This record gives sequence, structure tokens and C-alpha cells, in this order.
Amino acid sequence: MAAASKLMSVRRDWRERDVRVVLAALIIAVATVATIALFASQLQRTLVSSASSFLAADRQLEAENGREIPGEWLTEAQSRGLETGRMVEFSTMVFGSGGFQLVSVKAVSDEYPLRGEIEVQDAADAPRKLVGSGPKPGEVWINPRLLRLLELNIGDSLEVGNLNLRVSGLLIREPDGGFRLSSLAPRIMIHADDVPSTGVIQEGSRVEYVYLFAGDDGALEGYYQWLQSRLEPSHEWEGVRDGETFSRSLERAESFLLLGGSLAVLLAAVAVAVASRQYALSQRDTVALLKTLGVRSRGIGKLYLRRLALWGLTGIVGGLLVALPLFWLLTRLLSNVLERPVEFYLDPAALAPALLTALVSLFAFAYPPIRRLRDVPAMRVLRSQPGEGGREALPDFAIAIIAVFGLVWLYAGELSLVAALLGGLVLLLGALGLLGWLLVATLRRVRGGGNAWRLALVGLYRHRRASLSQMAVFAMTLMLAATLVLVRSSLLDDWQAQLPPDAPNHFLINIAPDAVEEVSAFWQERGQPLNQQYPMVRGRLTELNGRPVKEAVSKDERVGALNRELNLTWMSTLPTDNEIIQGQWFDPGQTEGVSVEAELAERLGLSLGDRLTFTIGSEKVTESITSIRTVQWDSMRPNFYMAFPPEGGLTDMPATWITSFYLPTDKKTALNDFSRQFPTISVLEIDHIIDRIQQIVRQVTQAIEAILALILAAALVVMAAVVSATLRDRQREGALLRTLGGRQSLLVRSTMLEFALLGGFAGVLGVVAAEAAVWALQFRMFEGNFSWHWQVVLPVPLISAVVLALFGRWQLSPVLSVSPMLLLRRLE
Amino acid sequence: MTDFNAERRQTMLRVDNLTHRVSLETDTLTILQGVSLEINRGESVAIVGRSGSGKTTLLGLLAGLDTPSDGTVELDGSVISKLTEDERAKLRARRVGFVFQSFQLLPALTARENVMLPLELAGMESPEARARELLERVGLGERLNHTPRQLSGGEQQRVAIARAFASDPVILFADEPTGNLDNRTGQSVSDLLMELNREQGTTLVMVTHDEHLAARCGRQFHIEAGILTEPEAARELAD
Ligand SMILES: Nc1ncnc2c1ncn2[C@@H]1O[C@H](COP(=O)(O)OP(=O)(O)OP(=O)(O)O)[C@@H](O)[C@H]1O
Ligand SMILES: [Mg+2]
Repeated sequence: MAAASKLMSVRRDWRERDVRVVLAALIIAVATVATIALFASQLQRTLVSSASSFLAADRQLEAENGREIPGEWLTEAQSRGLETGRMVEFSTMVFGSGGFQLVSVKAVSDEYPLRGEIEVQDAADAPRKLVGSGPKPGEVWINPRLLRLLELNIGDSLEVGNLNLRVSGLLIREPDGGFRLSSLAPRIMIHADDVPSTGVIQEGSRVEYVYLFAGDDGALEGYYQWLQSRLEPSHEWEGVRDGETFSRSLERAESFLLLGGSLAVLLAAVAVAVASRQYALSQRDTVALLKTLGVRSRGIGKLYLRRLALWGLTGIVGGLLVALPLFWLLTRLLSNVLERPVEFYLDPAALAPALLTALVSLFAFAYPPIRRLRDVPAMRVLRSQPGEGGREALPDFAIAIIAVFGLVWLYAGELSLVAALLGGLVLLLGALGLLGWLLVATLRRVRGGGNAWRLALVGLYRHRRASLSQMAVFAMTLMLAATLVLVRSSLLDDWQAQLPPDAPNHFLINIAPDAVEEVSAFWQERGQPLNQQYPMVRGRLTELNGRPVKEAVSKDERVGALNRELNLTWMSTLPTDNEIIQGQWFDPGQTEGVSVEAELAERLGLSLGDRLTFTIGSEKVTESITSIRTVQWDSMRPNFYMAFPPEGGLTDMPATWITSFYLPTDKKTALNDFSRQFPTISVLEIDHIIDRIQQIVRQVTQAIEAILALILAAALVVMAAVVSATLRDRQREGALLRTLGGRQSLLVRSTMLEFALLGGFAGVLGVVAAEAAVWALQFRMFEGNFSWHWQVVLPVPLISAVVLALFGRWQLSPVLSVSPMLLLRRLE
Repeated sequence: MTDFNAERRQTMLRVDNLTHRVSLETDTLTILQGVSLEINRGESVAIVGRSGSGKTTLLGLLAGLDTPSDGTVELDGSVISKLTEDERAKLRARRVGFVFQSFQLLPALTARENVMLPLELAGMESPEARARELLERVGLGERLNHTPRQLSGGEQQRVAIARAFASDPVILFADEPTGNLDNRTGQSVSDLLMELNREQGTTLVMVTHDEHLAARCGRQFHIEAGILTEPEAARELAD
């Protein structure tokens, strides 16, 4: 037994080529999955904190009733370890040397902002800088436009109510410069402690108190549980995930990362499977020898199991040693992209999938062929047995597929993802079966000759079993990689489409009906035509089918939209980016009915025909729902929950008009002329928000690209592993062919052709399967319409043909450089 | 096979002062030293010697699988060291056959496909009929579609012999063709080899341990520590 153990010794094992491939596959598996998981968790944290800065906190509590919340609520939050902050927002007139102006005031406490930074300038020509807190008591920061409007200079004083404040900075961007219709006028920022002395806020003034909270998720959640029962309808608890504009982008980025991670798992499993099968085949002689030496099946099973465990350990340790520096590098990249330091955050939970992947791919993929080694007959020592390998692998394969898809499911938590990938894979294997049959049927007639083409075809036929299994692996690898590339491009296209460079970045609000034409002409003259203008009437939804809405809708489903005034409109044509999903749009001349936005309808449980009663001022309007439509909230155009027909329920109501348009930065001074000519119209500048969103999209895009590159590299390694698995056979064959008189050039050309054909077929199959998977995925996970991606469908088979031909050439070079003398010396 | 140059080239293989050295880490090892010999068309020659004496090395050089450090090998009128790798391959494809001790059949191919291989490389049309004919000749007509794994050692070597004769070589090199076979099988394989050799009028150069097999060849060479001698010729000289 001592000699046998020595034969089985680990040190000797390291020198085995196939073991090195198995280990490489395992290390790559662990490294890829760990890196992606770590990075995904890091990215998510970073994105959430980036997005948190949109709230200037992790959560906000808004009180729209003009009253502060009980002090106890804040002390409770602080006792739970949360940071808190406070802001007050209101509108008022301010006076400067050049006149007066309606402004929107934001008064902030010392803690503001809990997340993100404020961008300010010390003077109109000073560089912009980021600061972590608002103005000190006695100071005011103003929107730069106010400098001209009020003929102010830095250091002058500005009269806010009863108080004179010194202008100490220009407010360029607030982290939470959200899209709020209440903040219409140019912004000024003051310290919260100054608010009482201004005397502006009196009983009944329209004021909004906003409270900021930040801390870890658990504490925030616990606090919300505590707070929930105490909230009144006019309180609104807002988290990052609820922000309509960004949540979609975040969700999709997360989905993409999960998809990428799942594909990495699959690729890794494939690599381990290929290499360990090769290893098992090469071990048969050793096992037969051990058996003749008297080692029993059980002993052999144990020996190999021990070995497997050791591989697992090596794979995990090696994988982590690769993953950590890689992750560190990605984190650095991320912080470069974000232009701010990103804290290196090692999430232990993120390592679990990597470890699980290593164990599952070892035991579901590597173990079965190795277990079957126990059954190798000792007779093999004397003569190799016919009919070995191949058929009995089928049940193994089934187990492996179930295991790995279980893993993906566990990992991504998306059954639809697993189903889509599995479907694509089944399609692929079916196509491969068909192709194999065709290969046998057509190629058996081809006869070889001095011609490289014919030699290549004959080669494909003769190695049909190996060729088909290689093709299966290539096609699968390509399918997985192509799926990822396709999903990535549709994701990015979607984002780009949502926010084109000329997306509207300014809103005009409060346009009097008789000014509509003039306003339109003003911007037309300056080459910045307005988008469509919509009338806007503010009203509350108060009754549903005759019952007060607060009774009709259960408390959990009370929606923000019910708490505040809704913007109602009328329009004759459906905006192009809206879509009717139930009912019918208004006919020309129709005077009745209302069209409701789909998500709101779902949350309130509204359906066609329900009667809605709106209270507008002192009037009530009741209409039945005639259609339900979807709205693109992130389109940066005016969007409405409720739309009426032009001659319908709103016609006699007092309306103002709203519109949006694109104004490039260098033309912003036109806003001053505009404000002078139309002093009552409010301009809402959201260009900074748009910049921010575009910046986030760019960040996410780059992160996605980095991960994509990682996975493509893994795919390439898998392919190289598969190709080199047959290296020994090919070297032997090459040496023999040369001894028998094959010229080098013929050998080179036919091998390259053979591989090119292999790659081409695999490419076509892989791409078609990928399209199928993407089609299925797009159905559920990613919104968007499916179309063939010719820019991927055409090049992938070509590229894979070329890459494989080069692989083939590379693999052949040892054959070419080695003297055929080796054959006489019994090439091993 | 008609060869109009037959008169002029009675000599099939001429070796002149062949020396082969390999460099090791510390010094160089001389494997062959001053080997000279001439073999005529149609002759059969055995090279015998102890293990490690340099037989395989010599055979490889004679067949143009490798180039010598010194001296010349002229095979069927071509000086091997003057040919490029591809020209040597072409020469092998048309004129040289091999039988190896370890058979060297490709495991993925059937018996027939293995025999077809050199025919295809030589660019011959319809190689199938010829392969079948040869396999029938070596008594494996029933095993055409079996892979090497399904054949015994003796059967595999018979396939290898069929392959060696497939392209009608003018010279055949065999390195211990019976070395891996038992006595009786070895006997039948060597019978087959000698028979085919006679039928086809091939020149045969064979390395062997087998005294009987060596005795069946027209001439015998001894090699020891890289030095080649021909005992009978030596005796003739002495007489
Ligand atoms: N490339 C090489 N590098 C180092 N030594 C070599 C090389 N090729 C051959 N030798 C040595 O040259 C000697 C002759 O080798 P060769 O294989 O020709 O012997 P042989 O007569 O065929 O032996 P056997 O009967 O055992 O096959 C041996 O000692 C061998 O180790
Ligand atoms: Mg030898």
C-alpha cells in the first residue's frame, strides 16, 4: 500500500497536466465568482450611497402638513444609532439692491447633508468646490442667477423676511436637488437656526419640513417599524429605492451583475467538468495498475476523494488569492470613475457563492467521472477495454446540470433567469445533436487527400465524438458570453435612449393660458423650441366610487399620490412615450372619462369604469376611468397620473401650463431675460440632476464593462482549457502525420481549418441560443423589445472561427518544432 | 513498380561517416560515431545490438526523421541533410514506410482509416479500396471498422504493417516490430513482414533483438556503443 500511496501522492499529481487544468479551472471559478460577488456588493453599496446623496441621506421623512414632527421621533432615531438632520423649505420674496424676487428657500441644519456633498462657488469666477455642510447662521448661498436678477455681489446683504443675511457663496448644486414642483423659484440656502428670526413662517404658510436619517440598513429598518404606526397621511417616508427615476437603473444594474455572476458560475462548472473528465480518462491506467497491485475499489475511491478535497482547498485558496487583488483593482477603478475614494468593503457574505461554486462544481462535475474510476477493470493493464467512456456520462451530466442550475437559482434568486438559460441550453444541445447527425451523414462521404480542406473535413468526421463535445463546450461558452454582451448592449441602449444628450433639462411652470403663445415664441427665437405644453390643474383624489378614498383604500396601500395634490391635465393626443394597456384613448370630441397611470391604478386597485372624484379648490369633478396607460417617468417630460379629454371634466377649472425643454449650459443666461419678461413663470432647472443621472449611468456602464471583460476572459480560458485537453492526442497525431510524410504547411492549414469550422459552427449555435435566452430574459427581467442583434450575430461566429483557428495553430506549434523522432521513442 | 533509374541507382541507402551527438547539460554525448554503410535496392538488413547502443537513433537518421551532426545519408538518390523539412516529408510520403515497436496507430481512427492515412497524405484518389485490399492481405478483412482499442497487439501491428506498405514504399524501416509481442504472434507478424517485403520488392531496414528474425534478413549489422560493424563483411575481409 505504501508504494500505491506513493503512486497516488499529491506531489506527483501536481505534475499531471490535467490536474493543473482542473486546478486552473477551479481557481478561475472561485476567482471570477468571488470577484463579481464582492464587486457587486461593493458596487451596490456605492450606488446606494451615490443614490443616497440624492436624498442627502439614506431616508427622508417629509411632513407636508406644515408642522414639525414630534421631537420624540428624532430622539428615538438617535437612540437607535441613526444620524439625523433637518431641513425646512418654503417660498418667500427676497430683496436685494436690484429689486425683489420670489425665491425658494431651503434652510438646513448643521448636519446637512448626511450623504453627498454640496457644490458651491465662492464667486462667479471662482472654481467650483464640494463642501460637506451648508451656510453658517447669518449667511446665505444663492443661485447664481440671482446675482444679476437682484444686482448682488458676493458679500452684499440680502433681505429675507425680517433678517439681513450676507451672501457668502453661490449654490451650484445640492445633493438632493430633487424634482419637486414646490421648489419653483430660484433657490437660496440658509441655516435652519435663522428661520425663526426671518418671521416668514406663520400659521398656515406653505412649509415643508424634511427630516434626514442615515445609518445602517438594519437600524433604518427597525426605526421605520417603530415609526410606521405613528405616521400621519401627510407624512411621507422616502428611501432611495422608492425614487422613481433611479430605482430602475439600479435594479437593472443589479440584475445584470447577478446574470454575470450566474454565467461565471456556469462557465466555471463547464471548465471543471471538461478538465476532470479528461483527468479521469488519463487515470484509468494508473487505477488498473493499482488494482493489479491489490488495492480494492473502496481504497481507490477513498484515495481519489481525498485528492478531490485537496483540489477543492487549493482551488478556493488560490481563487481567493487571485480574487482579492483583482477586486482591489476594480475598487480602485471604481473610485477613479466616481472621482471620490471608495471604501474597500469586503463583504464576507459575498464569498459564500464562490465557495459554494467550487464545492458544487467539484462534486457535481469532477466527482462522477472520478468515482467511476473505481469500476475500471484490472484487466485494463493488459489490454485497454473497448467501449469505455461516453455513454455512462449521461446520468452524470443530468446531475451536473441540475446542480449547477440549482446553484444559479440560489445565486441569482431568479427562476426566470434559470429557465431562460436552461431553455437556451436545451435548444443548443438539440441543435448540436442535429448537427452531429448531419456531420456524420455528410462528412462520411468526404475522402481525404493532399487538400487541406478535405483533410480538415475528414478530421472533423473522424474525431466526431471529440469534435461534438468540444463544440458543445465552445457553443455553450459563446452562448453565455454572447448573452451577456447582448444584455449589456440592450441595457445601455435603453439607458441612453432614456436620457439622450438633449433630454429636456428645464421646466417652465405656471404659464398663464394667455402667455402660452408668447413663451413658445420666446424660446423659438432663441433656437430652443419647447416640447409640448400641457395645462395643469391641481387637485386631490377624494372619492372612489362615491366612498371617501381613505376608506376605500386600505392603509398599507396608501400612496404618496393620495397625500398631496395631484397634477391633473387634459390632452387630445396620447404622448408618444405613453402606452394604453387597458381601455381606449379619448375619441376626438369626447367629453367624458379620465385616463389613469398604470402603476397608480394597480396600487389603488382601480379598474376601468371606476368613478373617481377629484376636489379642485372648492369644486368636485367626477369621471369614470376610460383607459389605463403607462408613463415613462424618467423621460424628463411633464407626466401626469390623471389625464382628461380636452372638453372634459377640467375645462372650466383654473389651469396654468407646463412644459419642458432642452437648454444647453452656454445659453443659460437667456433665463435671465426670460425671468424679466415673464416674472410670474417659474423656471425649474434640473440640468444638474440630469448630469448626475448621466454620470451614474456612465459609472454603472463602466462597472458592467469591467465585469464583462472579466467574464469574457474566463470564457477564453475555458476554451483554451478545452482545446489543450486534446493536446496530447493532437501532438501524437501530428508527429505521426509528419512521419508518414504530411507536409508542415498541409498540417497547419488543415488543423486551422478544422478548428475554424469547429469555431464557426459553435459560434452560430452559441449566438442563436444566446438570442433565444436574451429573448426570454428580456421578457421578464429587462424591459425592452426584442430584435435580432446583427452586430453580434454576424461577427461572433466569425470571431470564434478565427480565435479557434489561432488556438489550433498555437496548439500545433510544439508538434511542428518537435522532431518526429519522438515517435520512435514512444511519444508519451 | 518500374523505375527507369533503377540501373543508375542500384544503391538504395548510402551512409558516409555518420556521427550523431546530443548536448547534455554538462557535456556532449556521442551516440553514433563514424557509421558508414551501403544498402542496395531490394536487400533486407537487420541491425542488432544491446539496449542503449544507438539503434533507434541510427534508424531515425537513416529514415530522415532527424538530421545527423556530421556525415551524410543518401536515401534513394537524395542527400537527406540537404533537404528541407517539407522535402523530407514528401520523400517519406512517397518512398518510405515505417513499423514501430509500439504500433503508433491513431486511437480515434478505425483500422481502415489508419491504413488510409498515408494514402491520403500522398494525395491518392480512392484510398479506400487499397486499404481494404491490404487489410485483407494481412488477414484483417473482417476488422476494417474496428478501432485499435478493439484489436489485440498482434492485430494492431498487422494494421501498422498494412499501413507501412500502403503507399508502395521503396524502403521500409522497422524498429523492433515484434518487441511488444509474444513469441508466436511475433513469429506470425515477422512472417508477414518478410512476405510482403519479398512480394513488393521493398528494401527493408530492421532493428531487432530477435536472433531468428535477424537471421532471416540478407545482411546483419552489429552496433555497440555507437559504432557499427558488419560481422560477415569483416569475416570476408579477414579471408
Ligand atoms: N536526445 C537524446 N538526449 C540524450 N540522450 C539520448 C538522446 N537520444 C538518445 N540518447 C541516448 O543515446 C543512447 C542510444 O539510444 P537509442 O534509443 O538509439 O538506443 P537503442 O539502441 O535504440 O536502445 P533500445 O534497444 O533500448 O531501444 C541511449 O543511451 C540514449 O539514452
Ligand atoms: Mg530503441
